[in-house]
Amino acid sequence: MRSLQREPGLLLALLAVIVLVCVFILYPQIRVIITPGTGYIDFLSGGTWIRSTSQSIQVMVLSTTTAVLLGFVFAYAMVYTDMPWKPFFRLIGILPLLSPPFVVAASYLILFGPRGLITYGIFGQTISVFGLGGIWGVQTIAFFPFAYQLIADVLSRSDARLEQAARNLGAGPWQVFRSVTLPLSRPGLGAAILTTAIYVLEDFGNPALIGGTFTVLPTQAYGLISGFGDLPGATAVSTLLLALALILYVAKIRLDGGRSFITVSGRASSMPRPPVPVVLTWACFVACLLLAVVILTVYGTLLVSALTLNFPNNLSFTTKHFEYITSDVNGTALQNTLIFGVVAAAFSAVFALVAGWLVERGSWPGRRVLDFLLIMPAAIPGLFFGIGYATAFNEAWLDWLDRGVLIIISMIFWNIPVGYQAAVAGLRQIDRTMDEAATSLGASSLRGFRDVLIPMLGGSISVGFVTTFVRAVTTLSVVIFLFTSGTTVATIRIFQLVNDLNWGRATAFTVADIGMAILALGGIALLSRGRIALGAARA
Amino acid sequence: MHLRLAHVTKRFGDTAAVDDISFDVPRGSFATLLGPSGCGKTTTLRMIAGFYDPDAGDIVLGGRRINELPAHRRGTAMVFQDYALFPHMTVRGNVSYGLRLAKVAKDELARRVNETLDFVGLGKLGDRWPNQLSGGQQQRVAVARALVLRPEILLLDEPLSNLDAKLRVQLRWELRTLQQQLKMTFVYVTHDQDEALSLSDWIAVMNAGKVEQHGAPWEIYYRPKTAFLADFVGAVNLVPGTVREVRGGQATVQFGERSVTVPVPADTSLREGGEVKLCVRPEALGLAPRGATTDGAALPGTVARKAFLGDLMRYWVTIDGREWIVDQPDPGASTPLDGEVLVQVRPERVHVIAG
Repeated sequence: MRSLQREPGLLLALLAVIVLVCVFILYPQIRVIITPGTGYIDFLSGGTWIRSTSQSIQVMVLSTTTAVLLGFVFAYAMVYTDMPWKPFFRLIGILPLLSPPFVVAASYLILFGPRGLITYGIFGQTISVFGLGGIWGVQTIAFFPFAYQLIADVLSRSDARLEQAARNLGAGPWQVFRSVTLPLSRPGLGAAILTTAIYVLEDFGNPALIGGTFTVLPTQAYGLISGFGDLPGATAVSTLLLALALILYVAKIRLDGGRSFITVSGRASSMPRPPVPVVLTWACFVACLLLAVVILTVYGTLLVSALTLNFPNNLSFTTKHFEYITSDVNGTALQNTLIFGVVAAAFSAVFALVAGWLVERGSWPGRRVLDFLLIMPAAIPGLFFGIGYATAFNEAWLDWLDRGVLIIISMIFWNIPVGYQAAVAGLRQIDRTMDEAATSLGASSLRGFRDVLIPMLGGSISVGFVTTFVRAVTTLSVVIFLFTSGTTVATIRIFQLVNDLNWGRATAFTVADIGMAILALGGIALLSRGRIALGAARA
Repeated sequence: MHLRLAHVTKRFGDTAAVDDISFDVPRGSFATLLGPSGCGKTTTLRMIAGFYDPDAGDIVLGGRRINELPAHRRGTAMVFQDYALFPHMTVRGNVSYGLRLAKVAKDELARRVNETLDFVGLGKLGDRWPNQLSGGQQQRVAVARALVLRPEILLLDEPLSNLDAKLRVQLRWELRTLQQQLKMTFVYVTHDQDEALSLSDWIAVMNAGKVEQHGAPWEIYYRPKTAFLADFVGAVNLVPGTVREVRGGQATVQFGERSVTVPVPADTSLREGGEVKLCVRPEALGLAPRGATTDGAALPGTVARKAFLGDLMRYWVTIDGREWIVDQPDPGASTPLDGEVLVQVRPERVHVIAG
């Protein structure tokens, strides 16, 4: 506290962070929650929420279960076995994280839709693929890579020495797993499951594209606004969604202290684990191969569709879809995606770094509150966040505010937990005596932060930057209530074109969007000489 | 007086890490805070540096109260236990960092950095990175980085504890020589009593947040005020006894069935009937075969164990059911003793601790 009084610069930085967090994280949420007012009574008595809530929970339980099971198999195979082709499988596990999750639904429609390649083209069937079954299947494929990254992280942190010790005392591979690995990683696994559940619960794009009449909370909120202009109803549904997400999130924090998040990060090499039986290794290999085939089919379909005239009916090669997406308003959309992503990622990384430093190294009262507010956006569904911004900043006196700027600000603060947690994790690895050494040589806290900590935090900063960029260019739900024709972005255009069943153009946009994410990750990996091995994003 | 701490207290929650301590350090002296881990010595050092704010009391440096002065304006450069060298700066970058902050002119900066690097014997290593240096070299960079600022006072937090034993002893002498050449005030924190005794002009031994005793190393070693001090600073025999008589600068103390008359200061607080401990260093005792003629008191005992330590032979001798430690210097000069022996006690080498 006294250090704040002695260093005005520090106090100013802290006040700036608090004000920004209150205005751009806390205030929009409060606005959404209070918007319905007495409308809550109508809404609750109307009863439509009962169906969408129960369906949301139903699909969340189903999709999370299967995604976690597949993710676990993949993670176990990667961490514990010495199966061949691991680098290939690692790439397969990253690819879905670099794309908007709802493109899985697009691919699914191309393959299994009413005029789908497999259903109609091969079997001549026009079956209904919309509804629960479709969402379940699509979300399983879309989110198992997220579950895989989270679970692999937990498993690889389990201490190999303990497993070696258990083997040394006479336990077999299965006994080691059951009696040592599993009990020790249970909290981490629980947190991974809950995080996956939050991703599934918040998913808007997939249910919107293939849900049909099967509504879940995010699609109901969207439908109420876009179909009926019913803001009170939509905000009430969103609040319900937020409440569910927060319950899961609080449970998750109790398990892991709120410290897990998928980020692009360096992987520490660990000591070798005891070998697993050959049969198990090969079973894992086959399972991973099957999953890889599914993933490659999903993304391969998108790529082929983007490069052919009218997939699957006319397979002649064309670049006209790419010409379309780079011209006029579509070119602007791509440009916006890139600019918004870069600017948001840069500001988010800087802000998160300063905030992380103030919280991690500070000793002033109330920093636990600020810490909570800074990781809280991780629990806020993108749709809720978008509605919050649309509600809070759609005021006449704010007309001068450019919509593009508003979208950037929303991306900055929705993604704060990414950079913040990367910064805090990085700072925790730097001993406090580093700060003190700078201080004892005559540097103020801010000066020491600039001269000593920031250069040492290079890795964490680039991790925060790339992950934020990827999340910004792949989000649909945050921007869907904020874009205007001049500030549209790739994900919005993909969503619109899929709804128009314009597959060639939609998939070309998708390929371009994923391409940006891959380039960003590749660029950073190159800059950091390949130390960054993992990628992740979330729509 | 260069550095003065007056009634300084620091609390963490309910526990007082430093509890109302006061002492003065004269200008140009090598002062050491010695104590077991958790005694408050590092906390004290960090309050002098400004990393902790004292909850009560004054810290005065060069006649000026510095409690409210921010850490980076105190001129109290510090050498850290793990050196805390900046890994992204070269040796020269590390050493010049403080001068750059002080906006020292380029020529002078280069001159002072070179001078200091030469002074600590690193003149040729200026362009190396910290991870290319050995532990001892890193330690010298840490010292150079602090010295180059010509600080009011140099603070050292266990700077030798991460080095191997031989290097530790060598660098000990280098530090002492450096301090005497510069005539600078050093405040040094350590838990190693050998280091404290060999380096310091002045030692404050701390325990549980309090300064138990301060003074010259010799005083601390031979005239400890408490049993804790006697035991912490070197091996010692502490024998409980009762004062039978105090007269004419001498006290007679009874222990078990025996008694010894030892010299005490004129202003002694010992009173007849008081419970005391006799404090005798193992090297102040003599050992002789049973039946030999001895001067002073000779206590008959039996050798229980012995250990060859190179420069001396350490015996554990049982006297009246209590084990005494007796050191024999230069063990190669005589055959080791065994069985029944006599332990010689010279009264003037026995110190009496009250309570």
